[in-house]
Amino acid sequence: MTIVTNRTFLSEKAGRAITAIVVSLVLWEIGSRSRTWLGVAIPGISAAPPPSAVVIAFLGVVFEISYWYSWYLSSLRVFGGFLIAMLLGIPLGIMLAMNRTFNGIVFPVFEVLRPIPPLAWVPLAIIFWPTQGLSIGFVTFLGAFFTIVINVLDGARSIDGRFYSAAQSMGASRWQVFRRVILPATIPSISVGAVVGMGITWEVVVAAEMISGSGSSMGRAGGGLGFFIWSSYLGGSYEQIIVGMISIGVAGYLCSSGIRMLSEASTPWLKRR
Amino acid sequence: MSGAVSSDRLREAGTAAILAELAPLSLLSAEVRSRLTERARLEDVPPGQSLFDAGQPAHTLCAVIEGTLDVEVPSRGPAPAIIVTLGPGDFFGFECLLPSPSWRASRARAITNARILSLDGDDVNAALLLAEPPARADLAKEGTVSRRLFDALNDDQAAMSAGSAGAPNRRTAIQHSVNKLGNALTSPRLYLALIGFAIFFGLWQLSVDTLRLPRFKELPTLVAVVREWFSTNPDYGLSIFVGEYYSHILISLERVGLAFFLATMLGVPLGLSLGWSKKFREYIFPLFEILRPVPILAWVPLAIVMLPSDESAVIFLTFIAAFFATTLNTMLGVQSIDTSYIRAAYCLGASHKQVFRHVVVPGALPFIFTGLQIAVGIAWFSLVAAEMVSGQFGLGYVINTAYTKIQYPVIVIGMVTLGFVGYTTSALVRYVGRRLMAWRERELALSGVH
Repeated sequence: MTIVTNRTFLSEKAGRAITAIVVSLVLWEIGSRSRTWLGVAIPGISAAPPPSAVVIAFLGVVFEISYWYSWYLSSLRVFGGFLIAMLLGIPLGIMLAMNRTFNGIVFPVFEVLRPIPPLAWVPLAIIFWPTQGLSIGFVTFLGAFFTIVINVLDGARSIDGRFYSAAQSMGASRWQVFRRVILPATIPSISVGAVVGMGITWEVVVAAEMISGSGSSMGRAGGGLGFFIWSSYLGGSYEQIIVGMISIGVAGYLCSSGIRMLSEASTPWLKRR
Repeated sequence: MSGAVSSDRLREAGTAAILAELAPLSLLSAEVRSRLTERARLEDVPPGQSLFDAGQPAHTLCAVIEGTLDVEVPSRGPAPAIIVTLGPGDFFGFECLLPSPSWRASRARAITNARILSLDGDDVNAALLLAEPPARADLAKEGTVSRRLFDALNDDQAAMSAGSAGAPNRRTAIQHSVNKLGNALTSPRLYLALIGFAIFFGLWQLSVDTLRLPRFKELPTLVAVVREWFSTNPDYGLSIFVGEYYSHILISLERVGLAFFLATMLGVPLGLSLGWSKKFREYIFPLFEILRPVPILAWVPLAIVMLPSDESAVIFLTFIAAFFATTLNTMLGVQSIDTSYIRAAYCLGASHKQVFRHVVVPGALPFIFTGLQIAVGIAWFSLVAAEMVSGQFGLGYVINTAYTKIQYPVIVIGMVTLGFVGYTTSALVRYVGRRLMAWRERELALSGVH
């Protein structure tokens, strides 16, 4: 019985979702073809390519190597920046939480730099780093870095002080306190920071590729999905813009769910029973 | 105290005897107790009369000596809701122990002829600090509320300093800020921060200017940035003395403000209805989930194509970033509300509209403000990108043009200004949120989460 009711419930929900998606796709199609079909151009949406044209453009592009190369380049930058941000951000966050003097010296500078949007760093990054790929990677790193540090710091700070005292009074060494108390307690906030940071890296990589791509005439060499969108825009193939947007959406979604799964696997004690 | 019918100041011996007998107070030393008696009062309250009402200023901690009392809060029904019925030996009226000014949260009404002992709240606070820990713990056991209050008091360094027992010690706001300033000057934090900035600026100067390390020497020097920024006649035309600088800031602020306003106006109602109506959520939320993973900045070209002007494209991008954050957090806020509140409201006869207005909206408010705070941050983030790609004026535009014109110091000026303006706006949103949700802060403090 329960299985049957469960299934009908699910299908009702799925039905509603599908209805909504189909209806909006149809509206989009009609809207963007309104000039030819209705004789009246609906402002805004009539400038956008219809979904059917997007599908055709996608089929055209999906067999091109340059499209997949853009995927590869963007992912490389995202993962490079993200991994370095994790490698530097987690120890820094924990040190900021554990050592008061270090916190007093570093944290104010950190707090002054943090509100600067990562993309405002793009020009300086381009000036500083020898290649465009490195400068985009650096900006991506910055995007994730601040979020991760703040999350780790908050997580390590919110540990109940009695846990330290208990561990220390039972004779734990500094390393054991770190390994058995601080690290497990901060993993949840590390993974929250990682999920948020991953989202930001995709945001940043797209923008950095667009900004640096539009600033120079390096052609495909700049590469990446952000540049794919930008060059589609410059080339006037608006369908491809949407193909690029969807690709980045999919890529970002895959990365975020991957990290979420990893973090769930690393914190089995948080699983809801 | 307005409800007190007969209140006579007892001779010290009489009150002292009562205090010595009352359970937790008997643990206090005689010396501390005698201080308490100085301003203790005994009052008789006839049945039906109230000792105090909700909303009155709270100055006294009360104990029942004889008779019974009800503690009530007003309710929508014909009769007030009774929280607890107190008998001889019970303490109540702990609000007076909160930092003043504090108010009564409930009404205390006599059921039978009641004799009440009132102690001055400041005296009790002072006595608690002098008391031996067991006495403190025993007093704390008197009620869960009082225990939390005592915990809060123990943490409160300021209360510690109010050691001069007997005399009321209410610190003025000026004293408070003088104290704070003194603390800031004597604590090592300030000096550590100065060391931190000195190291940061020193490294900048050393690597870029003095040593001219490879790669670093391309960057603008600290001296060049500062000189440009504070020059009355800047080389590249942008400093704090130039009107154009402020017009760029203003334009960026205007864009963020407009986008943020639109996002709040549309996102909050949408989020509330997404959280409130299951049907609506099941139709609309999937669309939302499909659009959400697409980075805001990937919308840039499409926005330029679809919208009539670059200006509206920039505002649209800023708006859409803030909109997603606001809507999603509002929805989560509605869903986070304990369903028993909603059921309780329905059971008490509330209409749909009343539940929405009095349960759902206030319940979601903390999440809404979290969302708005995130939204401001994201709005600045996208504004900069949008201005850099397709903007006329604004701080992102300043940074980008400074780069293409090789006016490198201006890049740093733009970045620092952006950081400052962005920080100020989010601080503003946080401040408004705190003001609007003072009730929640109080709740957190009482539940001990804070």
